[in-house]
Amino acid sequence: MKVGFPSQEKALRAASVAALVALALMVWSFLDPSPLAMVVAMSVGQGLGTLSLLLFLGVVAVDIVRNRGSKPE
Amino acid sequence: MLDVSQQSVAYLQPVMITAAIVCALLAAGLLIWYLLRRPPLDWRTKILLLCGLGVLPIGTAMMGNAATFKHTQERAFCGSCHVMGPYLEDSSDPTSLSLAARHGRNEYFGKQNCYACHQDYGMYGTVMTKVGGMRHVWEYYTEYHAYTLDQAREKIHLRDPFTNANCTGCHSMNNPGWRGQPDHAQLLDELLDAKVSCLGAGCHGPSHPFSKDPVPPPSAEDAGGAR
Repeated sequence: MKVGFPSQEKALRAASVAALVALALMVWSFLDPSPLAMVVAMSVGQGLGTLSLLLFLGVVAVDIVRNRGSKPE
Repeated sequence: MLDVSQQSVAYLQPVMITAAIVCALLAAGLLIWYLLRRPPLDWRTKILLLCGLGVLPIGTAMMGNAATFKHTQERAFCGSCHVMGPYLEDSSDPTSLSLAARHGRNEYFGKQNCYACHQDYGMYGTVMTKVGGMRHVWEYYTEYHAYTLDQAREKIHLRDPFTNANCTGCHSMNNPGWRGQPDHAQLLDELLDAKVSCLGAGCHGPSHPFSKDPVPPPSAEDAGGAR
């Protein structure tokens, strides 16, 4: 079985879905400020949000490196 | 009467929550647009995704944290777990003479009296208090939520002894009025070394009397032995 890095598009789609879940969890804690909602928002929600941003920055970094490599000298 | 900073927070809290929700909606709009349209990853898409995955969610988290951190200091929030119900009830009772209730009537921090007395006053106090609060929530949902109030009273205790620093943060031990009190003067070293608690029975405590077992009356044998 071949295991490789996900394509840029797949990675960005995953980041977008993770960020949507993170945003939903954060908004839940604003609308229903119960201890459970707050803890979930501040741990799972913000963790997912950070992960999605890192994924995006990784994709952009790879894209920049690839574009530099393909430019003629 | 509220002081200026409390007024600002009370005024700003709904504004911050609204702004946080607006940021979340804008971010969600951008992300749904990206998922549905699948545009090529050119510079325009990158900037839009930077807003949708970075700038706007960070704005949501920051404004939300600021507002919800304030909310977690409220007595009503501390009492939202059922095992804390009797503490909330006593603290909110205008006729109660318990130490907790008297602090609950303080005009400056009365509505946050649980936090004012139980927070960690160390260098990283706010962070450590929040970490401790997260542990409380975890333990509540994994164990204590099934407890009856009687079970809770019997089995749930402070993790660490209540430190005198939580009292002396406001009630300065350097105040001449404090030092002039004979009991304070006599026990100064013990109080500084935390060998004697401000909340000891016979001093200022217990702060939540209903949670303590009543002291049994001395038996006839004890009374005889004391003679």
